[in-house]
Amino acid sequence: MKRLAISLSVCLALVGVAATGHARRGGGGGKAAAPAADENAGGEGGGDKAAAAGGGDNSAPASESLDTTEQEPAKIDESLSEPKKQGPTTTLSWQDIVVVPRKAFLKGGRVELQPLAGVTVNDNLIRHFVFGADINYFLTDALWVGLQGQYFVKQLETQTELLGLQFNRTSTMNRYLYGGAFNMGYVPGYGKFALFNRQIIHWEVWISAGFGATFTEVIARNPADQASKAFKNTALTPNAGLGGRLFLTDWMTVNIALRDYIIADKYEPLAPCMNADDCKAHADSALVNNVMVYAGVGFYLPTKFTYKTLR
Amino acid sequence: MLSNKHRFALLIALATISLPFAAQAQRKSPLADAPAIRKRFELRQTRFELGVGAGSTVNQDFYHTVLFNVRLAFHITDWLAIGGFGNFGLAQVATGYENKLVTSLDPSTPSNVNREPLRAGAQAGLQQISGIYGAELEWTPFTGKYSLFGKLFSAYDFYVAIPGVAAMSVKPAGPLGRTCDQAPPADPTNPDRYVCGVNGTKIGGTVAIGVHSYIGQSVAIGVELRDVIAQLNPSGRDVNGDLVADNNDLSWTNTWVVTANLAVYLPFQAKVSP
Repeated sequence: MKRLAISLSVCLALVGVAATGHARRGGGGGKAAAPAADENAGGEGGGDKAAAAGGGDNSAPASESLDTTEQEPAKIDESLSEPKKQGPTTTLSWQDIVVVPRKAFLKGGRVELQPLAGVTVNDNLIRHFVFGADINYFLTDALWVGLQGQYFVKQLETQTELLGLQFNRTSTMNRYLYGGAFNMGYVPGYGKFALFNRQIIHWEVWISAGFGATFTEVIARNPADQASKAFKNTALTPNAGLGGRLFLTDWMTVNIALRDYIIADKYEPLAPCMNADDCKAHADSALVNNVMVYAGVGFYLPTKFTYKTLR
Repeated sequence: MLSNKHRFALLIALATISLPFAAQAQRKSPLADAPAIRKRFELRQTRFELGVGAGSTVNQDFYHTVLFNVRLAFHITDWLAIGGFGNFGLAQVATGYENKLVTSLDPSTPSNVNREPLRAGAQAGLQQISGIYGAELEWTPFTGKYSLFGKLFSAYDFYVAIPGVAAMSVKPAGPLGRTCDQAPPADPTNPDRYVCGVNGTKIGGTVAIGVHSYIGQSVAIGVELRDVIAQLNPSGRDVNGDLVADNNDLSWTNTWVVTANLAVYLPFQAKVSP
């Protein structure tokens, strides 16, 4: 009977140790309820599960932590002063929830390579498709400088054909060949959205301005004159744009933009001219807004980044 | 040797010990399967939206129409709404292309090419939009919040109008000899043969994308880009090449409209999600 009592005592002690350890690690039990965000916080786009950071930008820290007991309400200081070393088997817990999640993507000091494609949206007569690339260097997370190269492919609109049929007129047009620009950009806005309240995706909006040149070629009003009277032109082209980036991975973004290229172009003169040089000498000048919408995929080098601030 | 009583006691003890470990082995991340956002304001679910604003057609060949915009929607769920809109034409603004084209035409001397109009005739035939109305289902796949300059924070949503039904009322810019419903003159030298008034209500479809940026729980600024597809003839002239202007020259035409409005949500107070 004595041996039975000893063995039961040992067993109960073991049970107690196991149960205590289990409670500290947060498994099971009644405290495995949902995190208690501040009732007053609310707001759209609170926590960020993808970043292991639930709660919310407006949410108070979770007061019902699975890692802490009622007597130990605050473990946050500990994680700030000395990051907790976790073993490879450790899983996420409520202590991983922070009040303000860090940005999901850092760009400062990184290079973005962006192949892009776009189309003109504001020309009634001729549409240009653009294929090109951006190479941007981020001075900070919000400021960048970059170079852009473009190659254009033209397509005449239906209105160009109807002009002759309906009004007995032909249009004065130039086609764009290729272009380049030096741009600077700034990120004034940053946001995130929830996809069906299941996944958080981060994005930013940017504004940009730059200066460059566009190489254009006259499309002769009389197609028979194309070889003899058409001339090429190098047109100064300031530009301004508005766009956004959608952060997909640590090294890739999807970008969209609306950019207005203001082209100081020269056109075939209305007065008769003899040859290409003569036509160019008497060319009509005009400022043309070539508004383009384009999309691109940004690849970042180096492919990884390191947070400089504590979580 | 252990007695049966001892064996039984040890068996119970081992089973008791193993229970917590078994439970722990089954434990998964507390964040798994959790909603991305908790305790958020349900800014849309079961709320009415009433918006008033202004807009304009964009990318038109001849005339941009400045519009007064009214929008009404009921959000059935957080992500699905049924809505309607009315865009009422306030003013017609001639495009640069229209100016260049019309001024290139002779004001008084007819051309020896029959289809070439005089300036006034060309201008009168151009089609103008009086109003655009429609109804649709709206799908809101994205909701979130953003910061501007790290100072201003706002909740927003992005919605897509699932193809809806639209009606567009149109009229010619000036007085004409006939409408496109009437038979054209047989005389090839008669200018009325080459132009007709496109008027009436054209039924078509519409698609749109838009965003709401919320100011508090009950007010939002909305911006929307809409494409209305209807059978139109912006020039009021021959399109199919038969050298006669009539209803056969109507073709499916995209009309892009940008609007911005201030929307109020009812009830004013939004619910908070679990």
